[in-house]
Amino acid sequence: MALLEVNNLVKDFGGLRANDGISFQLEPGELLGLIGPNGAGKTTLFNCIAGKHPVTSGKIVFDGEDITALRAPEVARRGLARTFQVYAASGDLTVRENVMVGCFMRTASRRKAGAKADTILADLNLMAAADQHVSELPVAAQKKVTMATALGTQPKLLLLDEVAAGLNPGEIEEIMASIRHIHHQLGVTVILIEHVMELVMRTSDRLIVLDYGRKIAEGLPDEIARDPQVIKAYLGDRYVKEHGGEVG
Amino acid sequence: MEALKNAFDFSDQPRLDLAIAGTIGMLLLIFPLLPLSAFALATMIQFFIFSLYGMGWNTIGGYGGQVDLGKAQYVGIGAYTTAVLLIRWDIPFWFSMPIGVVLAVTWSFIIGYPLFRLKGHYFAIATIATSLVLKDLFEVWDFVGAARGLEISPIKYAPPDFLRLIFKEDIYYYYVLFVFFLVGLLFLNWFRKSRLGYQLRAIKDNEDVARSLGINVHWAKIKTYAIATAYVSVVGSFHACYIKAIEPEDTMSLDISILIALMAMLGGAGSLWGPIIGAGILIPLKSYLKEWLGGVAGIAGMDLILYAVIIMVISAKEPRGVWGIVERIRRRKRT
Repeated sequence: MALLEVNNLVKDFGGLRANDGISFQLEPGELLGLIGPNGAGKTTLFNCIAGKHPVTSGKIVFDGEDITALRAPEVARRGLARTFQVYAASGDLTVRENVMVGCFMRTASRRKAGAKADTILADLNLMAAADQHVSELPVAAQKKVTMATALGTQPKLLLLDEVAAGLNPGEIEEIMASIRHIHHQLGVTVILIEHVMELVMRTSDRLIVLDYGRKIAEGLPDEIARDPQVIKAYLGDRYVKEHGGEVG
Repeated sequence: MEALKNAFDFSDQPRLDLAIAGTIGMLLLIFPLLPLSAFALATMIQFFIFSLYGMGWNTIGGYGGQVDLGKAQYVGIGAYTTAVLLIRWDIPFWFSMPIGVVLAVTWSFIIGYPLFRLKGHYFAIATIATSLVLKDLFEVWDFVGAARGLEISPIKYAPPDFLRLIFKEDIYYYYVLFVFFLVGLLFLNWFRKSRLGYQLRAIKDNEDVARSLGINVHWAKIKTYAIATAYVSVVGSFHACYIKAIEPEDTMSLDISILIALMAMLGGAGSLWGPIIGAGILIPLKSYLKEWLGGVAGIAGMDLILYAVIIMVISAKEPRGVWGIVERIRRRKRT
């Protein structure tokens, strides 16, 4: 049974159709990449799935349950967590406290939340920064903190929104390692919105490409890299030349 | 059990802070025994009263970042409940105080539900409005003495009456309040480390992120608002027994609401010691300023001007108050 099933999802903002009849399925254990040009509707899709935006029409089924009408906190409690693209990290909370907020979704005990947070911090190599305030950390570490916080809710599915944006190559490697760890070791199913092509192509099992709110392609990374429609809409000829792909 | 342990657990505080807090605590304990004026003792009682108001405000206003300027209405509900029950039915403080809390918290749910649909300045303005409306209602409500207010006649009781909290000497009030103060501090210490406390701090940062972590933002705010209300209502009940004459103007006026918020903001909103520091600075200042300037005609409103200046300086220079300055210096030392 699919973990997530999105059926003919439509989201309008006034006269603008941000998501136009998107359908896809996600199997448990998969790592799905979601790519497309700016304004293609990727983040909107996340917002609809995670209950931040009410959908205009369509259906979202998560883990066998229709979650289309649920709001964000209820979706989160069912095991669907997410990160935000732009998150001015808390000046008030330390790294550990941030992660504990996530952990508090599953327990009211401070001791248990603290212990769980420490496990996650160790998993993501953040232990050294545990008592620092998030705003004091470099951007890469801040992004990892948002991932750690989302993991605190012990999700089955994690939606990552551009966690590698604005990072240097070394930091991207670090983030990739974290994502792989979350996916392989912790067994969390992941959907990844990303513009850093190298990261998406190397980590994803499968890709979905959006353009102007529609799904224009779906397939394995290799297939997507050769898809003429995708190249035209998003990747561009340069990417294909540099990576030696052949235009079918 | 764990909650009780957490309330007494101050281990995350620097040793120096705990030493200072302990010393001050000891001084407060022996304060009434020192050869000081009755005025000094009365000022200290006001310090406790406003510390407790400030602690209550700090839960929703400091940790939650919801600037509440309507806390005086709950002072009024607490004070009036205790006064009315005592005068009409001779129900003593220790029974009327919890009844006051129940009434105040119920009222806080009723108005909190729509209020917390508002954000930022709109929320602040709406809290002022609800408080003023309640005050106006009390001013025309004969059952509670309308604008004349209510008077608890001490002659009817034989002080020291611990059940009704009717005393002749301030020293009794001082120690009762000191116990409230310690309980209030322990409760705040529990709160800031509780699930609700963490959730509230997350809400203050970013409500969308908080929602994505399974937090029911609206409900968390209402719950915390009720906690803040309980603090204020308890002290309001005490105020009635202490002052023995209450009227809408001196329990529910906007001045009091602003002063409550100011305590916490000056000391450091969203910190454990902030409200106490704020009250420790403002209350003596206010008392003695009034004492010194009271005789001089024409400058009786000086203290209000002073509050205005303090609010402006805090919001421009250090929104996290005195405690914010302390933390900044510490952080600079560490790096």
